[in-house]
Amino acid sequence: MMKSSPALLRNAVFLAAALLVAFAPLPLPQTPPAERTFRIDATQFAFAPAVLTVNPGDRVTIELTSLDVVHGLYLDGYDLQISADPGQTATMTFVADRAGSFRFRCAATCGDLHPFMIGKLHVGPNTLLWRSIGLALLAMFAAVMLGMPRLRKA
Amino acid sequence: MKKEWLARLLVLALVVGFSAAALYARWADRTLEVHAAMPEKGGWLPNTLTARADEPLTLRLISDDVVHGFAIGQSDQQPSVDILPGKPVEITLLFDKPGTYTYYCTRWCGPNHWRMRGTIEVEGDDSSLANDPSGPVAPPLYLMLGIDLDAPHDVQVDVTRQPSARRGAALDTNLPAEMLSREYVRAHSPYEVWQTLRETPAASPLSDADLWDLVARLWERSTTPDALQTGAQLYAQNCATCHGTTGAGDGVFAAALAGETSATPISPGLGHETVAPTDFSDPAHMLGASPALLHGKIIRGGMGTGMPSWGLIFTDEQTWALTDYLWTFTFQFQFKETTP
Repeated sequence: MMKSSPALLRNAVFLAAALLVAFAPLPLPQTPPAERTFRIDATQFAFAPAVLTVNPGDRVTIELTSLDVVHGLYLDGYDLQISADPGQTATMTFVADRAGSFRFRCAATCGDLHPFMIGKLHVGPNTLLWRSIGLALLAMFAAVMLGMPRLRKA
Repeated sequence: MKKEWLARLLVLALVVGFSAAALYARWADRTLEVHAAMPEKGGWLPNTLTARADEPLTLRLISDDVVHGFAIGQSDQQPSVDILPGKPVEITLLFDKPGTYTYYCTRWCGPNHWRMRGTIEVEGDDSSLANDPSGPVAPPLYLMLGIDLDAPHDVQVDVTRQPSARRGAALDTNLPAEMLSREYVRAHSPYEVWQTLRETPAASPLSDADLWDLVARLWERSTTPDALQTGAQLYAQNCATCHGTTGAGDGVFAAALAGETSATPISPGLGHETVAPTDFSDPAHMLGASPALLHGKIIRGGMGTGMPSWGLIFTDEQTWALTDYLWTFTFQFQFKETTP
């Protein structure tokens, strides 16, 4: 019983660290919302630019211009969709009120490689990714630390 | 033993019955399959159809690659339908007059999209044609006037400010009565009208720029907001891809047409020449052209330039609406385009 006390403490420390990594509020720089306009050129089979970065709360306008065939843009998470013929630029405007990273994909079948025509919208830093990395590192560290006494015993 | 025979008969009847039913359903289904592919890969397949007047023609439209559309030229009986890959659509056409109809792709499916056309031969007794109240179709205006579509029509003009119909209307000058007719405007280029005005005594106190405003006013008078709206829509769908949304000849395919990019040759190996699309905001180019000339160019297309021919696609009314709209790039009209 006496022996288990440091082990319990150690477990409690790891658990506390894990909760901290997963849920602690980050001191993110707060930027005032701004108007942002992106012109995306769509060709078979890519968006240019394919990665957009905005701050949470920004008012985002996307102008989709197709340079060859009919393309579309479907934004995951926000559930928005437009489609553009060559010569007819399509625009969509939305407020980026959901933080995170979201895929956007071509919304009109544009040829063989259409499913691979994707891009990304970053709204603020991708905290989910960083927290996951932190948790994974912590788990690795914990596995090493907790496994050590048993190794010594053996 | 008797029961076994009965069972055998039942199995046989089922096998024959089901196959016969399936074959009959296939035979009875008169739906024609029409495949749509990018023009480089074959366009419409088949690209000639036959039908009989007053008999419905059912088509199942299937896209083999990208988004296409289907519509019948010079006709509003079939509104344009989109053909999405993986989603065949069925349409039923009914032609009341025999003749040759053109069907065409309505969504830009590549640089050669406009080449994607097919014909429907509608047969029938010609008696319905004889009773046609609309009568024979008149030849386009440029033929009646004897205009050579390929003759250079650029003029050296000194237009320092964009001619404005509003300023022209405010001048309140008594224009010669003959100029106020739509027929007069359509048959003359703005430069010709301007020259005639310059020689009119009533217009002598006006400056050159004022006279251009008067010309702009005359051109605005010859059309209607409805026609301009129709023209704007047609322009966006069919012309902006090469001529640009602002008419400056800078559409997304312009560079490829001008031969500036070898990466995307418009007609590889077809031997077709293409040139840079016309800039409709260039006064030197536009002011020497009469509406009848532009109308003719739209109908016939530019041989050796890459300009499609639209005569089989647009109705005469639509072609005039488009012609009227082209002047909004040169003149300032009191017209606000409304987006649907």
